[in-house]
Amino acid sequence: MNTILFISIVLIAGAMAGTIHGLTNLALVEPYLDNAIMIENQALFASGQAEDTPEFWAEYKSYRSWQKEGQVLASAILGTSMGALFGIVYVLSRDALPKGGDLKKASVLAAIMWFSVYLVPFFKYPANPPTAGDGETVVLRAALYLLFIGITGFGVVVFYQVYRRLTKNKRFVAFAGYAALVAVAFVLMPPNPDENTIQTELLNGFRIMSAIGVTIFWTTLAIILGVLWQRLRPDSETNLEHH
Amino acid sequence: MTYIAKKGLDNMTNLSMQVTRSPRKVPVAAVVILGLVFTVGLFVVGFDQGHILSVVFGEQAFEEMYIHELTHDLRHTAGFPCH
Repeated sequence: MNTILFISIVLIAGAMAGTIHGLTNLALVEPYLDNAIMIENQALFASGQAEDTPEFWAEYKSYRSWQKEGQVLASAILGTSMGALFGIVYVLSRDALPKGGDLKKASVLAAIMWFSVYLVPFFKYPANPPTAGDGETVVLRAALYLLFIGITGFGVVVFYQVYRRLTKNKRFVAFAGYAALVAVAFVLMPPNPDENTIQTELLNGFRIMSAIGVTIFWTTLAIILGVLWQRLRPDSETNLEHH
Repeated sequence: MTYIAKKGLDNMTNLSMQVTRSPRKVPVAAVVILGLVFTVGLFVVGFDQGHILSVVFGEQAFEEMYIHELTHDLRHTAGFPCH
C-alpha cells in the first residue's frame, strides 16, 4: 500500500466532494436560511434589540455574504473530514465489499454510511434552520446527536460481524437485529428538547433541500474516491519486468 | 530501421507490466493521520463554540464565537445542532 498516495486520494476526494456540497448549498439551502434569519431580524426589531435602519441592512448583507462564503469553506473542511473517515472505513472493509471495481465498492460503502450516519439520525434529530433552536440547549443537542450517530454507525459494524458468522439462510437475523437496535434507540433517546415554532412550509422545504445536499455529497464522494482509486491504485505495486 | 532502434523495439515488446497487489496491510500511520483529520475537522465545523480560538484569545473567543459564525450556515444545512 502506498501510504502517501492513499492519504492524498482520500483527502482530495473529500475536499472536492465537500466543495461541491458547499456550492450546491448556495443554490438549494441558502434561500431558506435567509428566510429564517429574516424572521430572527423581525424578532430583534420587535423586541427593540435592533433598529430597522439602512445601516443595519448594510451590515447584515455584508455579514451574510461572509457567512455564505464561510459555508463553502466549512463544507470543504467537513468534506475532507468525512472523506478521511470514509477512507479509513473503505481501506478496512474493501475486501468485504461486493466484488467489482472500486467505483462500485465505494458506492456501496457510501450508501451504507449515508444511511447509517446520516439518514437514520436525520429522522430522529432532523436538521433545523436558524430560529428553531435554543442556544441554551445546544450542548445537550450536540451530545444527543453524536450519541445517536455513534449507535447507528457502530451498530452497522457490530451487525456486520454477526452477518459474517451466520449461514446464508440465517443472515436476515443480522438485518433484523440492526433494525431492532435502531428502533430501541429511537424510543429510548430523548427528543430534541427545543419547541419548534417555525412555519411548517419553511421547515419542510429547508429539511428536504438539506437532505438533498448531503445526499449529493455522499454520491460525489463515492464517485471521486472510486474513480481515483481505480486509476491510481494505491494498493498496488507496478513492476516493469523483462521476460 | 537501424540496429539500435530495432533492438530497442524488441526490448519494448518483451517488456511486460506486472501489477502486483501488495499484501493486505493497512498502513497504521495513514489511519492515525486520517483519524486526526476526521476528529479535528468534525469538531471545527460541527461543535466548536469558541474552544479552539480560546487558546489564543481567552474568554473573548467564547463571546465572539468566530468559527461558529463562519461555519454557521453549514451547521444548519448539514444537520448539526445550532441555535
